[in-house]
Amino acid sequence: MGALLAMLKKHGVLPGFSITLGFTLTYLSLIVLVPLSATVLKSATLGWDGFWTVITAPRVLASYKLTFGAALAGACINAVFGLLVAWVLVRYDFFGKKLVDAFVDLPFALPTAVAGIALATLYSSKGWIGQIFTPLGIKIAYTPLGVILALTFIGLPFVVRTVQPILEDFETELEEAAASLGANRWQTFQKVILPTLLPALLTGFALAFARAVGEYGSVIFVAGNIPMVSEITPLLIITKLEQYDYAGATALAVSMLIVSFGLLLAINGLQRWSQLRRA
Amino acid sequence: MSIEINDVEKSFGRFKALKNITLNIGSGELVALLGPSGCGKTTLLRIIAGLEAPDSGSILFYGEDATNRHVRERQVGFVFQHYALFRHMTVFENIAFGLRVRPRGQRPSESEIRRKVHDLLNLVQLDWLADRYPGQLSGGQRQRIALARALAVEPKVLLLDEPFGALDAKVRKDLRRWLRRLHDELHVTSVFVTHDQEEALEVADRVVVLNEGRVEQIGTPDEVYDHPETPFVYHFLGDVNLFHGRVHDGHARIGETQVDLTGGSDHPESAIFYVRPHEIEILRDGGGTGTIAAKIRDIRPLGATVRIELERIDDRGSVEVELTRDQFGRKGLSEGDKVYLQPKRLRTFDGNTKRETTLEAVNR
Repeated sequence: MGALLAMLKKHGVLPGFSITLGFTLTYLSLIVLVPLSATVLKSATLGWDGFWTVITAPRVLASYKLTFGAALAGACINAVFGLLVAWVLVRYDFFGKKLVDAFVDLPFALPTAVAGIALATLYSSKGWIGQIFTPLGIKIAYTPLGVILALTFIGLPFVVRTVQPILEDFETELEEAAASLGANRWQTFQKVILPTLLPALLTGFALAFARAVGEYGSVIFVAGNIPMVSEITPLLIITKLEQYDYAGATALAVSMLIVSFGLLLAINGLQRWSQLRRA
Repeated sequence: MSIEINDVEKSFGRFKALKNITLNIGSGELVALLGPSGCGKTTLLRIIAGLEAPDSGSILFYGEDATNRHVRERQVGFVFQHYALFRHMTVFENIAFGLRVRPRGQRPSESEIRRKVHDLLNLVQLDWLADRYPGQLSGGQRQRIALARALAVEPKVLLLDEPFGALDAKVRKDLRRWLRRLHDELHVTSVFVTHDQEEALEVADRVVVLNEGRVEQIGTPDEVYDHPETPFVYHFLGDVNLFHGRVHDGHARIGETQVDLTGGSDHPESAIFYVRPHEIEILRDGGGTGTIAAKIRDIRPLGATVRIELERIDDRGSVEVELTRDQFGRKGLSEGDKVYLQPKRLRTFDGNTKRETTLEAVNR
């Protein structure tokens, strides 16, 4: 380890390797590792059986399904439409393009509670958009559909902003080469453009997904929070906290943490694989 | 497959990239489009390929109008300066791409594709790289793979946009000879763009010199080098010395010097004489009627030749002379020496018609 550090030191152009590494580790510990381990420690007070009972209660299981399912659905929708938005923003010039480009970041800036209230108002059965769907028998607000809607809303910027720079750097020569070799538009997109964008698209997808899993503010307003139907796990954690059940709350948090970590790891693996193929 | 280009014009906004280009390229020919950057050579190549549409004029492939045909249907192989290989595919898949994207009915079988790709890899002498990714290859290898990929679709016309522009000098030289040999084997009509006059002269059957969107001259490498039709071509194909002077009764008068000439007498009074650096003799002594006195300012050995920069005594104008190592050694010249220059050949252009006239100096 000492030899490794010495080696890294020698090859650096900028001085201060040890001080920056030290700072990074301390900072990460204070901001991320210490709170997370405190969470794990607190939940450990339940004992294994207690922990298991809490995290596998039927109401909790239903909330997992909704939280991860809706986050996944939202991230998938964002992957498709975020790509489309990025494409339009990079490839075409139109009036008001700068404005549209700025709109993309709004979900970042808007307090999520505001977004939730706005969505609930618009999509409730009496709302401007909701009343179009009511005759069709589709309820959006206060159902799992509303949760997916909110999570799609907050995740949009991630895919657009990760794909955009890659698309801007994409050499049009590659498309021309494909066309001169006889490929039609769909083949060019599918075989040449999409594989190039895949790593960035996966990154955007992972970010949107991670953000959606932890989202609380916007969802509780539009979800209706009906137990077993439209209740998300973060809400259950808050509920437990309000009942002074700290150990139970942290147990749920830990279980979410583990699942999220596993999923992100899988996505990262996928990303590495798609990058390795281009060596 | 012959290509006819009739009266093609193209503008980008206010900039006129091509003006009235008319050009015929014979079947099986290897033609170079040569010119400085911004002369429109790449635009012309892209218009032939169908990657760009002309504002007016037409492109005929084998007598058939192809002006509005999409690049997909033109059956051209295009090789880009920066290779444009698909980085996420292996070398094999890159070359197979053109075969795999064919409509189901015309698509060759997997074993057929395999055979064809390996044939092409053998042709470009890189069979051992089939499973690598483009990122793992050198520039020269990438360009050969790009060429193999373009050839896979059996194009009627091969178009190359500065194919060796991004390579270093040694690889560039090897690769252009190799391209010439490959063309002699395949005989596919080829057009390549270059700004390197040496490359154009060495590789092409015919050279098209372009300047500011116009064709300056079309001819074999010998024709354009030995008989430039315009001052631009003279300047662009190699270095040249300019002497301002007058022509009169079989003499050229340059400053105080009079050079006796063989050849025409019906020339304008004042003229600009073009003389290539290797067409000037350096004499140790012999100040006489046919020589220009000069002082050696700088001597630069450049590989096989030696370049000598001189300053004329009469008007302090600068002159460049090129000698072989041998000649230089025998003369024993050094900086600061006073010598006499004797032009062996002078060329001048008629101001109105821009016709070139060659005047041979009388060897005394």
